[in-house]
Amino acid sequence: MHNTAIDAPHLSRRKLLKVGLLGSALLATAGLTASLSGCSASTPKAGFRVIRESDLPFLQALIPAMLDGAVVPARMAQAVSGTLESLDYSLNHLSPELRGLTVQLFDVLAMPLTRGPLTGVWGSWQKASAGEVRAFLERWQNSSIGLLQMGHASLLQLVLMSWYSRAESWAHCGYPGPPSV
Amino acid sequence: MPVPDMFKQGLARGWKTHDGSRLDADLTLEADVAIVGSGAGGGTTAEILSAAGFKVLLIEEGPLKTSDDFKMLEAEAYASLYQEGIGRMSKDGAITIMQGRAVGGTTLINWTSSFRTPDPTLQHWAREHGVIGHSAAEMAPWFERMEQRLGVAPWAMPPNANNQVIRSGCEKLGYQWHVIPRNVRGCWNLGYCGLGCPTNAKQSMLVTTIPATLDKGGELLYLARAERLLLDGERVSGIECLGMDARSVAPNGRKIRVKAKHYVLAGGGINTPGILLRSKAPDPHQRTGKRTFLHLVNFSAALFEQVINPFYGAPQSIYSDHFQWDDGTAGRLSYKLEVPPLQPALTATLLGRFGIDNALRMEQLPNTNVMLALLRDGFHPDSAEGTVELRNDGSPVLDYRMTDYSWDGVRRAFHSMAEIQFAAGAKAVLPLHADAGYVKTLDEARRLIDNLSLEIYRTRLGSAHVMGGCAMGEDPRQAVTDSLGRHHQLTNLSIHDGSLFPTSIGANPQLSIYGLTAQLATQLAERLRHA
Repeated sequence: MHNTAIDAPHLSRRKLLKVGLLGSALLATAGLTASLSGCSASTPKAGFRVIRESDLPFLQALIPAMLDGAVVPARMAQAVSGTLESLDYSLNHLSPELRGLTVQLFDVLAMPLTRGPLTGVWGSWQKASAGEVRAFLERWQNSSIGLLQMGHASLLQLVLMSWYSRAESWAHCGYPGPPSV
Repeated sequence: MPVPDMFKQGLARGWKTHDGSRLDADLTLEADVAIVGSGAGGGTTAEILSAAGFKVLLIEEGPLKTSDDFKMLEAEAYASLYQEGIGRMSKDGAITIMQGRAVGGTTLINWTSSFRTPDPTLQHWAREHGVIGHSAAEMAPWFERMEQRLGVAPWAMPPNANNQVIRSGCEKLGYQWHVIPRNVRGCWNLGYCGLGCPTNAKQSMLVTTIPATLDKGGELLYLARAERLLLDGERVSGIECLGMDARSVAPNGRKIRVKAKHYVLAGGGINTPGILLRSKAPDPHQRTGKRTFLHLVNFSAALFEQVINPFYGAPQSIYSDHFQWDDGTAGRLSYKLEVPPLQPALTATLLGRFGIDNALRMEQLPNTNVMLALLRDGFHPDSAEGTVELRNDGSPVLDYRMTDYSWDGVRRAFHSMAEIQFAAGAKAVLPLHADAGYVKTLDEARRLIDNLSLEIYRTRLGSAHVMGGCAMGEDPRQAVTDSLGRHHQLTNLSIHDGSLFPTSIGANPQLSIYGLTAQLATQLAERLRHA
């Protein structure tokens, strides 16, 4: 077994179960609140097809942590905006069901009500340190809640795939690019 | 010299096609035979029926992309040529499922490996699943015919360094290895088969059977989702199709009504059960979508002193079946060993972790080999299997549940791959699992693998072969169709695709689909001629 759940690694099984239920309840609440309150306005930000203004604080905290080591600090801002552009393109081509799940995931991460308890990041994403972002990702990877583990896997795949599909990422991984035909 | 785009030339000659994303009004199309899906099964069936004089309509949900469109860029190819924009996964999100969705289906984006269905698999179907008429001897002429049609031959050039790892390692260990037969003509050895062949060398349906069908007056409707079969008692009376937007993501409001004498489903595992479920087709024994298999895949990475450049060169040219039948046909879970091509975007998601860890792994891409094991699921009662279900929006999803039996196969495959990689001279090996790092000796690898907690999400799992879900067999309590691919309950409906397989194949399935559907389509033409 891996250490699971929210914070304390030595939670009893009973507590763990509670956390699991709480987590699922929070996820459900977030989805519901988001759709009722219109807080997750479905309008994409100008220049994007799917990504909304409300998604940006989280994504702008997440992407530098993911690309740390692959991008030099001086180029990180550019890499983040390139990754966002590619991510938006991918999201716009996913099936409606998968895009919906991803947007819901972004809602859960954006709304203070769910963000704190589920991610351990209690302040805003703008103020989160790289260490806090890494801790959140580790916590989801080792969570007992399947949905959070799935969320962790999706975030990794979406961001890494978006970055490494871009030509400016290829020097780092020694890929000369496709040959000419 | 630029490569001529043969499909565009055909269109200029007057091939009849309909773009579902650009209809001015709803449409009704009629044909002798309507085929849903333009991949291995649909393309093969279309060519044979149109050559026999029947008017064929091919229906494809994805876009029409041809050689001029194939730029060898991952983002574009994944978004346009793969199911769900490459987002397709098992229901729990633990297994990435790579399936094609464009004119040509998965044949447009597969890695060209072409194997006949192994004899033990065919024997197992006859013995355990009530399949008749598909023995190795009965199938041989059909495989031979399709091998000739599609230029299937063992790869004659030297393998790229990524594939060479299997050969070197197996030679060192005394394990068997072989050269992979590929369906190519005049291949440039570029390595981008998975992103659409830019030189038309791959003999996909796009450049073979579909052009032949269109030359005979057949028609192609693309960017149109076959939403449901219209049923009239024991017969199918039509298909309701929805025009899709140009991304093939959402319906655009246009409807296409298709009427034919006979209907063939060839959307592959997941999509063929999906349309049957959406149509509420009779299913008295609840067999539709059951026993769906994946050739579940796990991966092992290795670092070499020498340059591998695993993103270039024919993606798959060497395999090992050393372990494939090591406990008989239906014993412990066994596997075929191959390698995947490693263009960077997909590779970054395979190598795992993020930040510095992932960056260090990616930095060594030119010296990296990745090996994969195709686990032969569905032969043992304890094997993992999947069930196709419908989501709220009617789209199909595969609920695939792992079992201890299957995890045991994953663990042994990790061991076999590490052993071969070290024997081939790897300086470090990394089983692709969240808790693993590169280790430098086989002993270390053995200890690491034995102690890995094998569970979903932590273990990187994928699949490029969806099989089963509409099994063939003589007993309607077990199977959706009979051994001729005829639906057990609906008289003018056939299924011609990989969903017919009662188990997984034990080899990359494209030639199994070509051979089987060539046989079924020829018999169907005979029956229609005498109807």
